[in-house]
Amino acid sequence: MEESSLIQGMARGDRTAFREFVEQYKKKVYYQALDMVGNSIDAEDVSQEVFLKVFRSFATFKKDAKLSSWLYRVTYNASIDHLRRKESVPEPVGDDILESRSQEDAGLPPRGAVDPALAAESSLLQARISRALDKVSPQEKAVFLLRHYDDLMLKDIASSLGLSVGSVKSYLFRAVRKLQKELGGSAPISGMEASHD
Amino acid sequence: MINCRISKDRMIEALYGELGPSEKERFDEHLSSCPECASEYSVLGATLRVMDRRERPDPGERFWDGYWDRLETRLEREETVKVPGPSLGARLGRAFSVLPRWSYQAAGAVALLLVGILIGSRLINPTGGGAGMETAAVSAPAGAVVNAENFIDRSKVLLLGLVNHNPATEDAYAFDLGRKKTVSRELAAEAPALRNALNQRGQKRLRDLVSDLEVIMMQIANLESGQDVEGVELIKQGVDRRGIFLKIDLDRMGREARSEDVNPPKNKKI
Repeated sequence: MEESSLIQGMARGDRTAFREFVEQYKKKVYYQALDMVGNSIDAEDVSQEVFLKVFRSFATFKKDAKLSSWLYRVTYNASIDHLRRKESVPEPVGDDILESRSQEDAGLPPRGAVDPALAAESSLLQARISRALDKVSPQEKAVFLLRHYDDLMLKDIASSLGLSVGSVKSYLFRAVRKLQKELGGSAPISGMEASHD
Repeated sequence: MINCRISKDRMIEALYGELGPSEKERFDEHLSSCPECASEYSVLGATLRVMDRRERPDPGERFWDGYWDRLETRLEREETVKVPGPSLGARLGRAFSVLPRWSYQAAGAVALLLVGILIGSRLINPTGGGAGMETAAVSAPAGAVVNAENFIDRSKVLLLGLVNHNPATEDAYAFDLGRKKTVSRELAAEAPALRNALNQRGQKRLRDLVSDLEVIMMQIANLESGQDVEGVELIKQGVDRRGIFLKIDLDRMGREARSEDVNPPKNKKI
């Protein structure tokens, strides 16, 4: 189904169009939520919440806007809401918990990994990357993930998240710098903290 | 020629290839004459290449296949909760408003008669065997609940075997992960239908527990062949963090309470 007919069907509250829409976008929404909230259970919950919101409030979607941009925004807001709700029930966050969360976030050990040394190295790298991403603020993270993994241009991120291009650049720059600081040892060139003007 | 401040402002666009040709040329020109900006650009580029190696765990085909069903169940549940029909009082009020006066008198007489019969039957048969059986018939768990509880019991047995396993002291062969994976796969395959069948009010907790167990069963089914100590450990942590055994115990206690309501123990004092 083409996007325009999908939009028309959704606007009518047509379940078939909604299902088509979900099938088309479920992976994008799930992975965006997973990147933001950090575990598969919450990611599914948030992604379902996003689709339900879309279904209930499709009337607020401006027909001249880009559906995927709108969806990114709804997902981002739902993820932030979820993180805020979780913050109100603080969990103990010791090093051991961070370690286990990082491993869990990276999922189960990679399937089909034959060489244990490679599997262990990959697992460690994933844990470090995950830990590094945890150090980035939700806004910076959202911008970074959209640019780096979803390949959205800066202006598209700005329109998706309702920010100026300048703010997007600023968030992204801060995110990459923080990641560089955290992953310092992983980068081929280390010890070059850029702080000059 | 641009200066360091402008270079920094354009660094992100340069890293992601969003600079126009002339801007890129000026940017490169600056880097060739400024070792500090050049090294910063290089370090940040290296960081992005590390981030390229990030993997996102795929929850698996079964997860994606069942995604719509789970979403639809939730949608229907929310619609049921948020758009309730008129209340019982309102419906009765509406129904009574169209009835003639004599019908109230007839209904009153029938009600009195029924009360009399009920009191009489209690006096004649104080043990209330017949009434008890009626209650049992009304509140007997529906098939969906029985199936879900059976699923929970089987999942619990499997999980107990998993969480109580100590790879340091127990034999991997006796642990038999392969068998556990097979059973988990079967249980995970049963779960979507069970969840869909649990669509009545008051079944949310049971449905959520089935969902939690489904995810864990999928994780067990996806463990590496062999011993996969690390994978088992992650699952143990997940079981613990989600309080799965507590939820299973609460469900069991609820079941027992319902069962006692239907068939009170003979020595129970009222």
